[in-house]
Amino acid sequence: MSTKIKKRGLAFYIKIYFKIIAQDIKSKMSYRADFIISNLGMIIQHGASFITFWILFQNFPSVMGWEYEEMLFFYGFSLIAMTPMQCLFDNNWFLRHKVYSGDFIKYCFRPINVFFYYISEIFDLKGIGLFTAGTAILIYSWSKLELAFSVLTLGLLVINLVAASLFMIAIMNLAAATCFWTINGGITMVFAQQFQSYARYPITIFGKFLRFVFTFVIPMAFVSYYPSLTFLSPDEIPLLTWLCPLIGVAFFLLSYFVWMKGAKNYSGTGS
Amino acid sequence: MKLRRCLSLIRIGIMENLQWRLSIIITFLGNIVYLVIIYSLWNAIYASSPADTVNGMTFTDTMVYLVLAMTIFNILNLYIVWEMGRDIQSGQMIINLIRPMEFRSYMFFSSLGGNIVHFFMVFIPTFIIVNIITGGAIPIGLNLVFFLPALIFALIIYYFIDFLIGTVCLYTESTWGINIAKEVTVLLLSGAMIPIAFFPDGLKTVAAYLPFQAIYNVPLRILTERDLSVQERFFMLGVQLIWVAVFYIASGLFWKKSIKVITVNGG
Amino acid sequence: MTKEKNGAVISLGNISKEFRTLNRREGLKGSILDLFSRNYKIIKAVNGISFDIQPGEKVGLLGPNGAGKSTAIKMMSGVLKPTSGEIRVNGVIPYNNRTKNAQNIGVVFGQRTQLWWALPLIESFKLLKDIYLIEDADYKNMLELYKSIIDLEPLLKKPVRQMSLGQRTLSDILASFLHNPKVVFLDEPTIGLDVSMKSKIRELVLELNRVRNTTVILTTHDIGDVDALCERVIIIDKGSKLYDNSIEELKHFFGSYRTLKIMFDKKAYNEKTLLTDVDELQRLFGGIEHADGIVSVSKNEEWIDILVDEDKCAVVELLSVVRKYKKVADIKLDEISTEEVIKRIYEGD
Repeated sequence: MSTKIKKRGLAFYIKIYFKIIAQDIKSKMSYRADFIISNLGMIIQHGASFITFWILFQNFPSVMGWEYEEMLFFYGFSLIAMTPMQCLFDNNWFLRHKVYSGDFIKYCFRPINVFFYYISEIFDLKGIGLFTAGTAILIYSWSKLELAFSVLTLGLLVINLVAASLFMIAIMNLAAATCFWTINGGITMVFAQQFQSYARYPITIFGKFLRFVFTFVIPMAFVSYYPSLTFLSPDEIPLLTWLCPLIGVAFFLLSYFVWMKGAKNYSGTGS
Repeated sequence: MKLRRCLSLIRIGIMENLQWRLSIIITFLGNIVYLVIIYSLWNAIYASSPADTVNGMTFTDTMVYLVLAMTIFNILNLYIVWEMGRDIQSGQMIINLIRPMEFRSYMFFSSLGGNIVHFFMVFIPTFIIVNIITGGAIPIGLNLVFFLPALIFALIIYYFIDFLIGTVCLYTESTWGINIAKEVTVLLLSGAMIPIAFFPDGLKTVAAYLPFQAIYNVPLRILTERDLSVQERFFMLGVQLIWVAVFYIASGLFWKKSIKVITVNGG
Repeated sequence: MTKEKNGAVISLGNISKEFRTLNRREGLKGSILDLFSRNYKIIKAVNGISFDIQPGEKVGLLGPNGAGKSTAIKMMSGVLKPTSGEIRVNGVIPYNNRTKNAQNIGVVFGQRTQLWWALPLIESFKLLKDIYLIEDADYKNMLELYKSIIDLEPLLKKPVRQMSLGQRTLSDILASFLHNPKVVFLDEPTIGLDVSMKSKIRELVLELNRVRNTTVILTTHDIGDVDALCERVIIIDKGSKLYDNSIEELKHFFGSYRTLKIMFDKKAYNEKTLLTDVDELQRLFGGIEHADGIVSVSKNEEWIDILVDEDKCAVVELLSVVRKYKKVADIKLDEISTEEVIKRIYEGD
């Protein structure tokens, strides 16, 4: 028996990730009806929230100096920024149930990172509908607002979207991790999700207090508002917009450490 | 005997819900946060508008309406579809059918405890806080007498719709998509997301003929509108009652037909 | 038994584990009170346990429910950190190096499958091969070994969700040995299975242990498992080690004891006649040659239980007495239960 010491590095995790995801998609294919219904549900969900948005602006043509098309830009941007969370981190939604039933323990027996192993288990195809809706809205408002487009702006768009999605993921990680400490952590997930719908509003329309909260406490403003300013007001980009990618990475890491701490804590409660 | 059974289920439901102290606190705090957000948001919206009253609703009217809609959502939403979906997938549904009580009633009474807990722990405190903040925007008087049955009817309609949708899961083996579609449809067309008064005329008419407005719009109007006559109130309750009857029959028939699917396929 | 500290694959040094649990009050009023004030109590799940296990040993970890067996296994597998004391598995402190330790162990935990539910077993194996970095050759060898013991092919192609409980347990055990770990923990592997499946699983574990010299730690309630698999038994009760010795030693306590269960014609008896039967049988047994082998005769629901030490008195001998006395409707022969063994050890020699 050879005991080669092999290190599980980034390459290992990437390879394993795609293998596990492939398995998940394979098993999803055995429930094709579910796939179709889920995407339909996703479309209805965002259709309904779009209609709400639309009704609002039928009654009030502009809010605090923001025009309808600009509001659409924030909206579309936030939907795309939510896509990675929806596709890659959806297993967070089942965490509560697995912790409660004790099934979570199986993730602790493998020689790989628990967070990674848990999160990699599910690839949620519903995110595709989210991405499509977001892209359509963004392109529409982009052309209506006659914003400039170049390779540089495209690059900036990608960077800002990645940063924004890190915030979204981190918020949901933190919300999910609460179930390690309380039986009914699902409720925090529902609330975090409710906050998601406020990510689409520019924070200037809120009062001072909420602006502070959405920037520094529950950083929803980073999911759409700050990164979008790169494109909506290219002449006066605030400092927080520049820092967005950096804070995004830091916040994601924070959420990761809290999640892992929770996983350790969970094991401490015995069977 | 039958009543004893129901009361016992409600009691257990209340006890179960009380175990989750943190979740009640979070729900309540969440409502406070929601209140603050709604306040800011609509404050900005009304501030940008030239008129104080839009579609017959002032800023305060809109705010009170939306915050209370949220708390009613907390009371009503007890994840019935989820639970049924899970029971179907795990095969637990068979065991549910063996119980010496009609499943629809069993499910209703075992979730009623949760409704009651949320009513007392979330709705009432939120109601009081809203009324203090707005300086008594919600009238306190005869409207409360009408509000309670309206809320109960709303709860029953919502439960039957949930049950109906949950039954669909017997056929689809898919829960998420169906549940989310139901939830957003109900929230939008019942006027919980944005008051029906704001709807464009076409959509307003559509919403009026659908059952969903009986869930949020009716109890909320009964609670908050000062100039409703007693006749109007009775009329609204009557409309609710019709929907209760419709969904009672529909969900019952559909369930009966669907049970055969389980018994034939073995769940 | 002599133990070489350095050679041990697992060693526990005075391990304790405490949990804090909520003291819930009773009733509706209690629930409301709990909402506002809670009181916690400390539970010592494991209380100062020490033992060493040598490579290749097959050890049964026994004890009643809540004795601390699962907690002990969770600590050895690195999921739980002991409150005090030190554990080494393959020279590694498991809870400080969870992933490193996980590479060296296999775990089958209760009836929770760790396989990919919707997929055929082979897909789970392939994924585990990647996760555990198993070499192609080693993987192939292991599958060959499996094939030589059981009929693997039909199992490989079957989605896990379509398997029977027995097949699933079997698959989980195969999966836990796949990366050729030094230690495998089996938590209640035969619970809920029928006799033939039980023996299939026992054979599999025995053979894998023999060929690969894998250390096997087994928790069970089934004395049959212990008898078939283990050469050493550690009994834990109320968090403390009660017994640690060879299976032969333990047999002093249970080996030759069996319970002969007898049911007479159902229609003809009631409580009263059953008691008369007990008295009558006791009297009759008094007259036989090896009467000192009979420990007790008692009524147990519809059955009459006769606890007998087979070293001293053969069951056949009893049966002939019983059959002469009355027409027998049904007979069972039960192994003594873990709980009874523990009781005997307490009362013990």
